[in-house]
Amino acid sequence: MPRWGMVIDLDKCVGCQACTVACKAENNVPHGSPEEQGLRREIYWNKVIAVTNGKYPRVNTQLIPMPCMHCDHAPCVTVCPAKATYRRKDGIIVQDFRRCIGCKYCMVACPYGARSFNSKEQDEKEYYRHDLAPDRSVWGQWPFPSRTHGVVEKCTFCFHRIDRGMKEGKKIGKEVVPACVEDCPSNARIFGDLDDPDSELSHLLSSREWFRLREELDTKAKVYYLPK
Amino acid sequence: MSLAFTATRGNSRSFYTLATLLAIFTVVGLLCFITSYIRGHQVLGSSNVIPWGIPIVVAIYLIGLSAGSLILSSMTYVLGREEYRPISRIAVFLAIVLVFGAMVAIAVDLGRPEKTWRLFIFFVLNNMRSMFAINGILYGGYFVISLLYLGFIFAEKSKWTKMMGTLAIFWAALVHMGTGAIFGFVAARPIFYSPIKPFEFLAAAMASGLALLILVVVSVFRFTNRTLNKEMIFFLSRLLLALILVLFTMVFVDKLTHLYPPHREATIWLLTGPYSWVFWGIQVGCAYLLPILVLIHPRYGKTIKGVIGAAFFVVVGIFGERFALVIPGTAHPLPFYPGKIEGIWGAAGSFPLTPIETLMCLGIFALMGLFFIAGLKHLDLLPVDENEGQTPVKAKEG
Amino acid sequence: MLGPKEKKSNGLEVNRRTFLKLSALAAGGAGANQIIDSFDAPALPLQNKTQNASEEKWIASSCLNCPARCAIRVRVVNGRAIKITGNPISLVSEGKVCPRAHIGLQVLYDPGRIFSPLRRANREKGKEIDPQWVPISWDEALDEVTRRLKLLREDHQPQKLLLFNGLNTVSSQDLTVRFALAFGTPNLVSGDGLDTEAEKSGNWMTDGHYTHTAFDLDHTNYILAFGSDILESCQPLSRFLRKWGRLRREKPNRTKIVVINPRYSVTAAKSDEWIPINPGTDAALAMAIANVIVSEALYDRTFVDNWTAGFRPYKELALRQYHPRVVSKITGIPPEVIQRIAREFAQTKPAVAMRGKESIAWPDGTYTSSAISCLNALVGSIDIRGGVIYQENPRYKEMPPLFEDDIARRSKIQPSLDFRGTAKFPAANGITNQIPESLLEELPYPIEMAVGFNSNFNMSAPGTERWDKALKKLPYYVHISPFISEMALYADLLLPSTTFLEEWGYDHSPPGSGFAEVKIKQPVVRPRGDARSLVGILFQLSKRLQRGVEQSFAHLGDDSEGFVKFRTATLMPWKEFLNKGVWIGKDYEYRKYGHIFHTPSKKFEFYSGNLKSLLTKARKGTERELDYLPHYKEARFLGEKEKYPLVLLPYQPLMVLENGSQNYPWAQEIFLPMHGVGWGTLIEINSETANALKLKNGQRVWVESSFQKIMARVKCSEGVHPQVVAIPVGQGHYSYGKWQKGMGVNPNDILGVDYDSISGQAAFFNTRVKVYPA
Repeated sequence: MPRWGMVIDLDKCVGCQACTVACKAENNVPHGSPEEQGLRREIYWNKVIAVTNGKYPRVNTQLIPMPCMHCDHAPCVTVCPAKATYRRKDGIIVQDFRRCIGCKYCMVACPYGARSFNSKEQDEKEYYRHDLAPDRSVWGQWPFPSRTHGVVEKCTFCFHRIDRGMKEGKKIGKEVVPACVEDCPSNARIFGDLDDPDSELSHLLSSREWFRLREELDTKAKVYYLPK
Repeated sequence: MSLAFTATRGNSRSFYTLATLLAIFTVVGLLCFITSYIRGHQVLGSSNVIPWGIPIVVAIYLIGLSAGSLILSSMTYVLGREEYRPISRIAVFLAIVLVFGAMVAIAVDLGRPEKTWRLFIFFVLNNMRSMFAINGILYGGYFVISLLYLGFIFAEKSKWTKMMGTLAIFWAALVHMGTGAIFGFVAARPIFYSPIKPFEFLAAAMASGLALLILVVVSVFRFTNRTLNKEMIFFLSRLLLALILVLFTMVFVDKLTHLYPPHREATIWLLTGPYSWVFWGIQVGCAYLLPILVLIHPRYGKTIKGVIGAAFFVVVGIFGERFALVIPGTAHPLPFYPGKIEGIWGAAGSFPLTPIETLMCLGIFALMGLFFIAGLKHLDLLPVDENEGQTPVKAKEG
Repeated sequence: MLGPKEKKSNGLEVNRRTFLKLSALAAGGAGANQIIDSFDAPALPLQNKTQNASEEKWIASSCLNCPARCAIRVRVVNGRAIKITGNPISLVSEGKVCPRAHIGLQVLYDPGRIFSPLRRANREKGKEIDPQWVPISWDEALDEVTRRLKLLREDHQPQKLLLFNGLNTVSSQDLTVRFALAFGTPNLVSGDGLDTEAEKSGNWMTDGHYTHTAFDLDHTNYILAFGSDILESCQPLSRFLRKWGRLRREKPNRTKIVVINPRYSVTAAKSDEWIPINPGTDAALAMAIANVIVSEALYDRTFVDNWTAGFRPYKELALRQYHPRVVSKITGIPPEVIQRIAREFAQTKPAVAMRGKESIAWPDGTYTSSAISCLNALVGSIDIRGGVIYQENPRYKEMPPLFEDDIARRSKIQPSLDFRGTAKFPAANGITNQIPESLLEELPYPIEMAVGFNSNFNMSAPGTERWDKALKKLPYYVHISPFISEMALYADLLLPSTTFLEEWGYDHSPPGSGFAEVKIKQPVVRPRGDARSLVGILFQLSKRLQRGVEQSFAHLGDDSEGFVKFRTATLMPWKEFLNKGVWIGKDYEYRKYGHIFHTPSKKFEFYSGNLKSLLTKARKGTERELDYLPHYKEARFLGEKEKYPLVLLPYQPLMVLENGSQNYPWAQEIFLPMHGVGWGTLIEINSETANALKLKNGQRVWVESSFQKIMARVKCSEGVHPQVVAIPVGQGHYSYGKWQKGMGVNPNDILGVDYDSISGQAAFFNTRVKVYPA
């Protein structure tokens, strides 16, 4: 059984945020507005944070992309009362909109702020593609019913691509990858099977120094970072 | 001593005025809920930073009040202290109304309230490692147990009552410790994470429940022209003081622990940041300092007015305590990576008080109030009073 | 006896009943409309689990949200574009695209687009004035345009037509140029003069190529970036983004990247060293580096001795005037740092020195550019693996000879509005920012009519107010774009053009790859509304204009698809091109020293023979020897230092789409990644400077130059030179757009007007400002 993980090479990352935009396009994630940004209601499945240290002229800003970490010891999975979020056998932390009651406990428990609450119906019809899941009208590629307002959503490692790729016998990690990995211009994001010693992931993790965010919380996150 | 219970007549003008007022607020609250249900939580003050808002604060507040009130009733039915019998039925009924209100508050805060039933599919469709799911068992069971408890009290089956009462105390304690565990077991939020949370919540429940009970009993007896046993109230006020001191100690230890590394920034921010006025002013000032000062005061502590004042401060202050936990607990930005996180990801959340949210919560209180006075009118909760001239229902022995 | 409790335990039942009852009540309530309207939001009914067979295809095309023109593939489901990603066949970008390509979906489905020609009803023109657009038919619109164009020709005054060329496909540009020539006007103005013309003139001085610089990035081991925002606004951006990944971790030696910039940009954050420099002093630094390399004999003897000319005067100048100690005072960079960087640059092979807008869009930008170009020659990084290379251009099929009737022929000798080629701007190809003065002063002659192709210069050029005045003065202005941009507000006639996803075209990227590559543009969806492509409009106009113009446009394919097919016939079979979307030229050949230098000596010239011959002719020998060598001249600033102590640095974040609109939420919400905010502008000031000015983070401030002032919130930053105020461009739109109108401010509003005299490059960075609380 593969255990899907991701490596983000911060030395190759160019801070362009293509991952954030590509994910929105691929997964039909609603865009925000100035009001929503002020009220912190914008939905991001992938975000790029900037962390600054130091003072002029010895300043350093890290630009760090953060998808859902798909932790092996996910706090969100522990606290979801309705089994709406759970860990699949292949390691992906799934969010089932049908079961989600919108209690937001998972949002409180997630140490990475990876989860967003859908607080309104999307009303910008032109950008909102009704024929692409996960919208409430069709089932599409997603096996779960579509989102409405009132549920929590997050990055899914594009499991729709992975599942279809597995069915078609494609190599996951090489031929089939999540949208953010595919559309990263500098190839800074790598996806693959953490338990496969031959995967590029394993090569990288064994040959370079890596870290995970908030390691002290022991979430066993499956998104690893390679420092500059 | 045998005691007879009856319902109040409930036909005075002030009664009807109160009922109408409560009904109006309830309807307004319901309309606000409908708005929130249709338009989504954008009409509330919550956000991706502060996911839990006033309804959750109200919910944990109410469940605390309920548990406290129920535990108090055990004085009579379990410990056999007869001087509390006149108020014990009210205590149990109040507990039932409060827990119902708490469950309504939780349901109202859900993103999809129509799926509330999913909280009650124990072990099958519920993840029992989640404290929320365990609380589903606890709250549901608590509700049923309280109903049975009250039933046995009305049926005057004293052995069953005593058994139920004993069960009820432990269950009530579990309920509120469970609520505390919802917060205490979340490592991602430094202000929440602590093994003392269940105990802190229990102490807060008992203090606030007792304080509310004092207030309710005094007001109800006054409005129905009944005489209240002053000695009983003063004893309760001593008990209240003890509970406040215990609570204060727990909170002190909790905050002090959190001021040591690691993860002290969130607690420092709570104590000195934009929400510090809730913590110091309402929680510490209102819930601890003022009541303690009043209750130990040689003169004020011995008047009914003083006790009522102290109880009122406690009731208000404990609401502030719940608020100062839930909102700042999640408002503090998560430290993804050491350094200054720029922009929205590093900014503390702000919680606007929206009218719909406020009115919805007031509606919950109004709904509870409605049920409570309806119960006073239609159930035999109050002791017989010669002034009112009711035909008593003779109580059997014990 | 239990009372009415039990009803409530059956939660679902009662809730629904009460809900239904009370919703009827609610319907009569005050806020009912609002509630029910929002509930109606999704238009489609719930569908069954079984999905109808949907038609899905991937179509190859190329992006046009910036001049890079990267090859893309677009996924179209049931006639609707769903996703844009890169085309792996392209070698320029290696199948990668920057985030703006994805935002093409929002460009295509922009709710603010116009779909029919519009005529202005309100005679008054101005920023706040409503044009009162009236929809008219295409026939009516084209008839009117034709009528007015014909008038000009009949009057034998075709030069009084002014054409603005914004961001368009190469195919559109080729035809626009042809149209201008056939019509008979020399006044075709592009936005190049606002970009990096000074880079081109600096190159031309040294190697004779009046083009942007291309770099063989696959093998570079050291990059010295002068003011170059490699990861934000360099072109072609996707190539740089892809190559950055390769340079860092996909080759045995990790490339070291040093960024020299008064501002800590994204590029600086991702690089190895950020060297803040006093604004406008990059030429001094470049010459100081030359000084160190020459004095320590670290230069590439072979290349310099065999393939360069004028090394002696260059060397003497560098050694005499640009000692690191001296330059340190000018640039604010410690001498040890200069020496170390110079040594690293010379001893890490191959190394390249890059230049960007922030170092060369200055009054003497050409000399800065040539100084940096000379550095590459010094270390032998010319036409080698990992060095500067020379872009091959695709050889499209030649268009038949232009038919110049006598009207056109006569006006060819008329001077152009932007004074290019005159003593004022002898080497310039186009001086975009000169146009407002020329229009307002009616020099060299008044303009009767103007047509704008996707241009928006009254936002993107310095000194926007004079653009507004000049546009207002235009007797008749036709604007062609998919939306009502700020420039379109002054139009008398507005023609809706297609976006790049709905039209035919061919494109090649700006210099960068070395080898040639052509990308197709084909409609991924049918043109929306009644929009027509630029090329289509030009063909239709040519037919109506008849005479020379019609003849010049004959045998070119007759419509946009035909034209593209015609021009790319020499590249590859049409069907294959449609399918693949990309044609790649032959591999790049290095070391073509025999014929790559277009200079008098046929070698790389430190002492520019090209410039000397031009200047002696144009300015009649008033120049000095120094003017043919790269050198540093203290920058001329606009505004006195005492009154305006800080220097304004307007920079372009990656999320700025260069098509004239920013009405795209995906771009807006993550606009400033270094600051974690979007939807507006931040005034970035050094935190110490802000302290001294008593400014707090987030406070509203005025930024005032001697020309104008703008207001926004201040950001106290550690990443800005103490004397610099950095403000992003791209915001401040005021014409249309729910997602851009009224958001942020445009720093171009407060910039003064200045030029690099050789290339006509507009100066963006030499305006002084003061900042104070609002």
